[in-house]
Amino acid sequence: MPRIAVDAMGGDFAPDEVVRGVAKVSLSSDIQMVLVGHADQIQGLLDAGEYDPELISVRHCSSAIGMAEDPRDALRAKKDASINVAARMVAAGEADAMVSAGNTGACVLAAAKHWKLLPGIRKAALASVFPRQTEYEGQDHLALLLDVGATIRCDAIELAQFGVMGSAYARTISKVPTPRVGLLNMGSEPNKGGEVLVAAHRILSSLPAIHFVGNVEGNDVATGRADVIVAEGILGNVTLKLLEGVAEVAWKLASHAAHDNWRWRLGMAMLSSGIERMRDLADFQTYGGAPILGFEHLWIKAHGRSRAPAIANAIKVAAKAVRDGIVPDMTEAVAKLQ
Amino acid sequence: MSAPETPPGGAAPLATPPAPALQIEAVTFRWDLDKTYLRTEFESLRKMVRIPFEAGADKVHLPGVPQLIQGLRRCASERGERPFVFFLSASPPQIGAAIREKLALDGIEYDGLTFKDQLRNLVRGHWRSLREQVGYKLGELLRARAAGPAATREVLFGDDWESDPLIYTLYADVLAGTLDDDILARILEAVGVQRRDVEGIQTAARLVHGTAPGGVARIYINLERRTPPSQFQMFGARIVPTFNYLQAAASLFEAGALDSAALVEVARAIVLGAGDSSHRLRNSIDDLTRRGHLRLATRDRIVRMLAKHDLTSLARDEAALRSRLRAALERFRRRRRDRRPLAGPDYERVLASVGGKPREAEKTSSDEAAPPG
Repeated sequence: MPRIAVDAMGGDFAPDEVVRGVAKVSLSSDIQMVLVGHADQIQGLLDAGEYDPELISVRHCSSAIGMAEDPRDALRAKKDASINVAARMVAAGEADAMVSAGNTGACVLAAAKHWKLLPGIRKAALASVFPRQTEYEGQDHLALLLDVGATIRCDAIELAQFGVMGSAYARTISKVPTPRVGLLNMGSEPNKGGEVLVAAHRILSSLPAIHFVGNVEGNDVATGRADVIVAEGILGNVTLKLLEGVAEVAWKLASHAAHDNWRWRLGMAMLSSGIERMRDLADFQTYGGAPILGFEHLWIKAHGRSRAPAIANAIKVAAKAVRDGIVPDMTEAVAKLQ
Repeated sequence: MSAPETPPGGAAPLATPPAPALQIEAVTFRWDLDKTYLRTEFESLRKMVRIPFEAGADKVHLPGVPQLIQGLRRCASERGERPFVFFLSASPPQIGAAIREKLALDGIEYDGLTFKDQLRNLVRGHWRSLREQVGYKLGELLRARAAGPAATREVLFGDDWESDPLIYTLYADVLAGTLDDDILARILEAVGVQRRDVEGIQTAARLVHGTAPGGVARIYINLERRTPPSQFQMFGARIVPTFNYLQAAASLFEAGALDSAALVEVARAIVLGAGDSSHRLRNSIDDLTRRGHLRLATRDRIVRMLAKHDLTSLARDEAALRSRLRAALERFRRRRRDRRPLAGPDYERVLASVGGKPREAEKTSSDEAAPPG
């Protein structure tokens, strides 16, 4: 049974919501979890709610890295921070994967510090899932975008490796037998985007193990054209934030208009169940977290604003990835790439 | 020579009671049946309807309970104490045959089995008594105590489904002589015990009031509903909420009521019955330690013992784990010392939790009602 190390002190609502999320999972699954953080606080929170002690153990550590702290300095200064301790536990084989809602930079750096990259992998990638339009019945309404910030610039081989890792992850988690991989670019033609993207396009097209659908433009991101979108960190991060920002603004505009005009209000009321459904689809709480890919272990990074349900979902994703052998799958896929 | 360590839970040790005024010759283990001994399912009407038609072989016990009772009996006898095992159930006597059959199948020797005579309540038109358990159980406990051997310590086992923590705490404090008549009456009335029954309980309580200070050594509450453990703090340090019978066995092992062989038997039964892995067993023991109900030294002994029998594995870095747990335990003790000294039940909180008026509020309202001058 999977054993997941959970950073109890990471996130805007830690440790309360993280501990509640773990307690929730303990009542409905057989996932073994290790809560890493201040043992007193953790036990106090456990005592106040329902939990199954057989599935939870606690690893005390005295410090934590704040969401606003400089990741590099904090990791160096706080050897006993929960992120560091949990990552070391996974490296030592005391847990199979890790979940944290903490400081994203610190998560990526801690993984790089304590874990080894998969053989042949040159850079790790931070992936993120985002809601998109579906094209057929049963298609996953979430697509994977990577990298969204673990790197800044990448070369063509690194982008191709992201495509291979993302495809392996989507195959396991989304159960898409052959995920369609797209390369985020400024045009659909293979010769667009400059030297790196042209070379990346050429390499990805030559890989028989993945289903490469070519370049995807910004307007294709939210359609169902690709299940996995590959980009270098700076572009992926801007794209992700743009999607989040547009969704937020659209929601605010609609609410504002409804406030001013009774016809809009009526329309919104009539559409409310559909809108709620859309919000549910887009809600990060439902998918819990996104992976940091490329290491010998799996790290699910939950959203910083995660509440207990999101943490619970992130733990379930991590456990599923462990059960389904995502890291061995990825290792194999990367080995083929060599 | 070092002084014996005080158990973290603060309750009196079982094997060597601190109040030697009481000549201990016997130890009594009182058990609730449903959800404490048996995995009875009465969450739905369909499941409830099935219960009277079940044979003894259909009934399922919770993992480790028969082994725990057998171990407690054997260990008490080996210490030269006379063990008594009593079952007290709120189920009707009509299911008695199946229960007796089940206990025989499990190899449980017992000295008494009491059921609630619901038929009599029906015939007499005592409708409220059909569902009311506090008055029934407390009355039965007090009457049984008055009729039983006086020089006995008791260990009580219940669950979090009905009101066992409240009933057992009231019972323990009546024996200890620390619960006055007025509080008892107010609590009973607040939980809906009928006036005539309150008077009967008060009469029974007076017969045993103060006859056994420290007579109830421990109260184990099986958290079948996973009630948050913090909800039992108001009942004082005597209550040990446990998530499984390994936790109860570990606490009883520390108290000297159970030997290592019996503890291993309970653990083995849990592994076989509930399919618990070695991680689960160790997590259970660590949870009990973190909650302050088990000393670290005992935890280490138990983990090593279970590992020796292949029931759990030692952590890769057992020494580091031990030091972390020790630190956690130290912090727990410090926090508790800071908060308040180990205490008995907080009856004002208990009263508030059952909807009764706290003493101050009552006093104020009666003052207001009093005529001026």
